[in-house]
Amino acid sequence: MMGLLEWILNLLLSPWLFVPLIYPGLISAFAVLLFIIWLERKLAAKVQLRYGPLYVLKQLGGVIQLVADLLRYLSAEPIVPDQADRLAFIFGPILLFASSYMATVAIPISYNFYAFRSEISLLVVLALTAMAPVFNLVIGWGSNNKFGLIGGLREGFLITADEIPLFVSALAMAILYGTMDLVRMVELQSRWLWGIVLNPLAAITFFVLMLLSTSRFPFEIVEAESEIVMGPFTEYSGILYGLTMGASYVKLYVLSLLFAILFLGGWEPLPPLEFPGSWLILPAAVLFLKALVMMGLSVFMRSVYPRYRIDQALRLAWHYLFPASILSVFLSFVVLMGWFI
Amino acid sequence: MASRSESESQGQERAEAAPSGEAEALLSKVLEGLSPEISTVGSAVSVKVPPDCLKEAAQRLKAAGFDHVKAVTGIDRPDSGEIELVYHVSSYLDPKLSRWIVALRTTLPRDDPETPSLYDVWPSVKYHEMEQREMLGIRFSGHPDPRRLLLPESYKGIPPLRKDFKVKVEGINA
Amino acid sequence: MSEEEHILELLIGPQHPASGHMRLVAKVDGDVVVSLRPDIGYVHRTVEKLAETKNYIQIIPLVERPPLADTANHNLGYVLALERLLGIEAPPRAQWLRTLLAEMTRIHSHFYGIGIHGIMLGSSTAFMWAFWDREIMIELAQRLTGARLTYSYMIPGGVRRDLPPGFEDEMEKALRYLERRIPDYHKIFFDNPVTKARLEGVGVLRKEDAIRLGIVGPNLRASGVPYDVRKVDPYCAYPELDFNVITREEGDSLARVMVRVGEIKESINMIRQILKKMPDGPILEERYLKMIPPKWKDWMAQHRRIKLPAALISLRPPKGEAVARVEAARGEAVYYIVSDGSPKPYRFRVVSPSIRNVVLFEHLIRNCRVADIPAIYGSLDYFPPEADR
Repeated sequence: MMGLLEWILNLLLSPWLFVPLIYPGLISAFAVLLFIIWLERKLAAKVQLRYGPLYVLKQLGGVIQLVADLLRYLSAEPIVPDQADRLAFIFGPILLFASSYMATVAIPISYNFYAFRSEISLLVVLALTAMAPVFNLVIGWGSNNKFGLIGGLREGFLITADEIPLFVSALAMAILYGTMDLVRMVELQSRWLWGIVLNPLAAITFFVLMLLSTSRFPFEIVEAESEIVMGPFTEYSGILYGLTMGASYVKLYVLSLLFAILFLGGWEPLPPLEFPGSWLILPAAVLFLKALVMMGLSVFMRSVYPRYRIDQALRLAWHYLFPASILSVFLSFVVLMGWFI
Repeated sequence: MASRSESESQGQERAEAAPSGEAEALLSKVLEGLSPEISTVGSAVSVKVPPDCLKEAAQRLKAAGFDHVKAVTGIDRPDSGEIELVYHVSSYLDPKLSRWIVALRTTLPRDDPETPSLYDVWPSVKYHEMEQREMLGIRFSGHPDPRRLLLPESYKGIPPLRKDFKVKVEGINA
Repeated sequence: MSEEEHILELLIGPQHPASGHMRLVAKVDGDVVVSLRPDIGYVHRTVEKLAETKNYIQIIPLVERPPLADTANHNLGYVLALERLLGIEAPPRAQWLRTLLAEMTRIHSHFYGIGIHGIMLGSSTAFMWAFWDREIMIELAQRLTGARLTYSYMIPGGVRRDLPPGFEDEMEKALRYLERRIPDYHKIFFDNPVTKARLEGVGVLRKEDAIRLGIVGPNLRASGVPYDVRKVDPYCAYPELDFNVITREEGDSLARVMVRVGEIKESINMIRQILKKMPDGPILEERYLKMIPPKWKDWMAQHRRIKLPAALISLRPPKGEAVARVEAARGEAVYYIVSDGSPKPYRFRVVSPSIRNVVLFEHLIRNCRVADIPAIYGSLDYFPPEADR
């Protein structure tokens, strides 16, 4: 009996199951989703002179409000419109949510704790996050709703506009570190300086593109409520609606983890301190905290900015962010040459 | 009528220049030949013209500087078998004229109230004429928009603001 | 693809988060709106026909319901028309009290407009802040009149209540608070680069078009026409107040919003002047005061209010007609009463500012983008219940 339990525990704690399933994968993605939406509502409320979520667990400030919301979504009827494309309608949100957190499989949380390490793990993460937005188009078309169509098409325009400079900025950091292996990048940052100091242009570009690609204000264009009701998610109710709402936050979570690894020193504290290579819990917690800070900053934008028009956001992406990301590549080269000279 | 305007001007000590003398003189000059009846009624200068002179009067008023219409009102008078149509016009740009409201009015026969639309003279009448058209049944020939404005498209029956349309008072338990 | 298939007809109908109680039928080509047609009448409550079945004093609450965020000015317009019909005038203190409430209402109505515009653009912060700051004026109006929004404060011959004790100090505190808040709005919303990008150059209304289409209110003044009924045809205490008419030349959405903010500041100044210069005296006209039985005199003096005389309930104005115009918060409101000597009006016509502005939907929202529809809509401060009456 004990042997079985021990075997299950060993299985769960082995990296190739722990990382995609528990942290930073599915379960912690859910937990972060529940927490970060609460944080967004609480931060916005504090700015706007009101309480935000308060009553669900009053002593802790309503922090499990989202659990209550999730239970409500689970008990509501997911209505599928008659004329909608059933397959696209039902599987769209599921695949959207699933593909959003799939990239966590390649994210390491400590020196020797990762599900997947390779020379090109940065590319793997970027490619997997870029898969998700396509399902927004599937959802928009499948809803058989004009507002959904418009929202889906807006997402289509935004996909190219934000994924390309995002890739280029991330690759600028890869050029700087000389490797696309995420574990090695953190090692180098703890020996030199954090990425955000080495190449601030790439950091700023990456951050703005993070906001753009996950529909944070001021780029909440796909689901612009006062223009196109809910964009592609107009016809949704019940748990499918919960999935669609959560998908963009999960993508934000993945990109924040990536930001923490590329620019904020990953799981190491400030250089020149270093955790011993065999530790797990403290490095994982440090990485999580850094990702949480980036997410908090992103969702705080809700209380500051209105939303841009689609053509203004596209102009920003193509006329300013894309050249900025190319410039950040050159900046990487300059820093490299300066280091060696 | 005269005693009314006297008490009016007594009541308005610090209001605008009493519209009686100056405005009436100006309007008689602008509208001569169209047999207008000019008087000051309740702080507006009322100008009554025959229905076929309405458009001509409107064009002359526009040329004199009255550049917009504030209200179009139809008054249903079943006892005398006519519908009175009143256009309240004034001016935005001319500081002297903007103090006055001119009530350009005419009477139309109740059984067949038709009048040329003043949209070509004053585009600001568009929505007002649509409303009086559906509420009183007045036909404005030449109006650019044939739709109903406030009433539902499926409404059939007496135009609501006519006196034959009685408002049914429903009790609390209705 | 043929022309008709290229254009999508979008029904931004009553079931839409940002359409109000109306339908906007938009023909959209890609992201460009080719034409927009407003379809109003969803909240038509037949105010004009109902008024023909009610006594004159009963029409006061009726008239306040359409313009819901801006009731005092419309109440004032109706009462002015009625007083012109009756040939009476309210005593000076009543006129000043009316002006006080009118300016307080102007402030909180403009905050309402700013808040709704903010949420249409996506800035929930502007919305929450504007509705909070609106509460200040509504709370003070409640101290003055007893109601939060539909005051029914002005009756023919005067007003119903006098200033409560301590009102001037509370008002001064409130005005100082509002003056401190307006720079915060500038920092978070009006000078926000995203807001400027959304509003500058969007929905430009030229001066000639504004005059030709008969536009009223801040929309007219933002296009360069300095027309304000409070200056052109002054009523109540306005001839003795010192204020500016805020105009702008650009005529775009940002100009319209800025005119409203300027008017809030002017109203704050005006309220200070009113409280300083208000004369003493009775708050109801003598004839009606005499109609109140003498046993109420002490009660009226102690509670600083009047008891409505029974004669006002079946008021019979002489035969005739009267027209009155006021500068409501959203623009010029015109009230036209035709009386035939009976206790109910023969014809009652109300032209609210929003019905005169509705033509701007067709005129301004052309060859602009889908996202400009809420930007322009919010800047017009159009209120569907007021337009539909």
